[in-house]
Amino acid sequence: MDLFPLFLTIKVSFFATVLTIAIGLTLAWVMAKRDFWGKGLLDVIIMQPLVIPPTVLGYYLLALFGRSGWLGGVLDSLGIEIVFTWKGAVVAAFISSLPLFVKPARAALEGVGADLENAARLLGKTEWQVIRTITLPLAWRGILAGAVMAFARATGEFGATLMVAGNIPGVTQTLPIAIYDAVQSGDSGAANLLVLIITLFSFSVLFAAGKIGRGRL
Amino acid sequence: MLEISLKKQLEDFEVGVNLSLDEELLVLFGPSGAGKTMILKMISGIVKPDDGRVVSGGEVLFDSSSGVNVPVRKRKVGYLFQDYALFPHMTVEENIAYGIEGPKASAGKKVSELLGLMRLAGLEKRFPHELSGGQKQRTALARTLAAEPRVLLLDEPFSALDYQVREKLRADLLNIHRVYPITTVLVTHDLEEAFMLGKKIAVINNGSIEQSGTREDVFYRPKTRNVARFMGVRNIFAGAVSGLEDSNILIDTPDIGVIKAPRPPGFQFSPGQEVSFCIRPEEILVIRPDRVLGKVQDNILECDITGAIGKGSTHILYLETGHGRTPLKVELPNFVVRKLELAVGRQVKVSLKKENIWVIA
Repeated sequence: MDLFPLFLTIKVSFFATVLTIAIGLTLAWVMAKRDFWGKGLLDVIIMQPLVIPPTVLGYYLLALFGRSGWLGGVLDSLGIEIVFTWKGAVVAAFISSLPLFVKPARAALEGVGADLENAARLLGKTEWQVIRTITLPLAWRGILAGAVMAFARATGEFGATLMVAGNIPGVTQTLPIAIYDAVQSGDSGAANLLVLIITLFSFSVLFAAGKIGRGRL
Repeated sequence: MLEISLKKQLEDFEVGVNLSLDEELLVLFGPSGAGKTMILKMISGIVKPDDGRVVSGGEVLFDSSSGVNVPVRKRKVGYLFQDYALFPHMTVEENIAYGIEGPKASAGKKVSELLGLMRLAGLEKRFPHELSGGQKQRTALARTLAAEPRVLLLDEPFSALDYQVREKLRADLLNIHRVYPITTVLVTHDLEEAFMLGKKIAVINNGSIEQSGTREDVFYRPKTRNVARFMGVRNIFAGAVSGLEDSNILIDTPDIGVIKAPRPPGFQFSPGQEVSFCIRPEEILVIRPDRVLGKVQDNILECDITGAIGKGSTHILYLETGHGRTPLKVELPNFVVRKLELAVGRQVKVSLKKENIWVIA
């Protein structure tokens, strides 16, 4: 039994979640605390991966990160290849899971009232001190719940990953793609095992996210 | 010392105020939605004014003409929010210490000092959700004072508290102001609170100051009908000048007849001119039926009692003189009402003593 897809999935999901938290938290904070022109449009763009077909999303990413795409061209000249590598799977998983993180994180940050943050400013604190000592400590549950959801979504990413990273056994074949492959080739033993792993994982993630969100963990 | 001159366009009215005060306590009094909180937010820098200046202790905090806008954290303005805005994830102690700068040892000393002054000793390890309303308010005030503000802004600090607690905490506040005599602006819509706390009162209506001055001035010598109304005067009558004496004027009102009132200094009156006058309900005297009227008294009115409402320790009686329909309101202690058997349907003689009448020119 080749466990490479399992390890690759964990690796891809880990890096995707790190990206999601770093970029998603900034986005969530800006959306929660600032008013600016085009905020509604930005919200729609962030939320797109929830409704757009994953293959369409994958197509966009392919066009963007392919050698002829404008971002792909830049990265290529730096010697970084995204398409058909495990990094492509990270990008696909990151974009797909971003909205699942931003939504609860934004709600959690909005839940920290303006009066509390103003009280801290009035007591002489800088913006960064306010975030570090007031906003984040009060919003961490929502942010952590969002991160758990994002990680779970990243492990299950299939369509966009297939488009961007392909299905190269031992290189870019993640767990969901390996399941598809096993079913296609009639290897029901491998398929069953992989399905069981991912099912158990998904159950425990939703359970944990619920507990964190309600403050019981 | 705080000097402000601020303008801000809001959705349905414009806030525009000019104020100057020393190390004293000024009460901003006015109905809900008059723009009182907005004024505090502009002084503190939470909201940016459209136009104007804020100067605190000689330092310009905001000046629209020179583009100065000192950030909130550098203003040294203490602000007590209406719901206190205590940090829920910190203990009483941590909340109070939050804004203290400098070494830990001296911070700890300051915290225990404030805990004592605010009657919070023993509660230092509690979290805000484990405190009563009064304890929360005192913690919030301690947290604000710990940062050594130059100006203290209090936004309806007693509105969320029970009546009994309120009374005690108002006395506390005056006491604290004696210990920390800093420039303080307190916002309230509670008349009793305004009178109890403010030696100086500014009455705000629709975003601007209708009158500001000493408590006695605003309370007993309102400049406008609105101020009189907000100050609970309740008996405000309009009429025409029907006669002029050296120090008195006679006003003919459609509601209660001709009334003799003291002439306010600095105003010219001519016969026929429209004026208003007012008298507080508790300043109207009831004349006992068996009392012999010695010297000629002014403004004796025979009235029918048309209504009576109990207000706890006092009663409000509605009296009609037979002239017009607007009743005269008289507030009397319950024992007087009982003793004189004042009830709806009975007659009563009252005197509007001249010195209790205030003419609004």
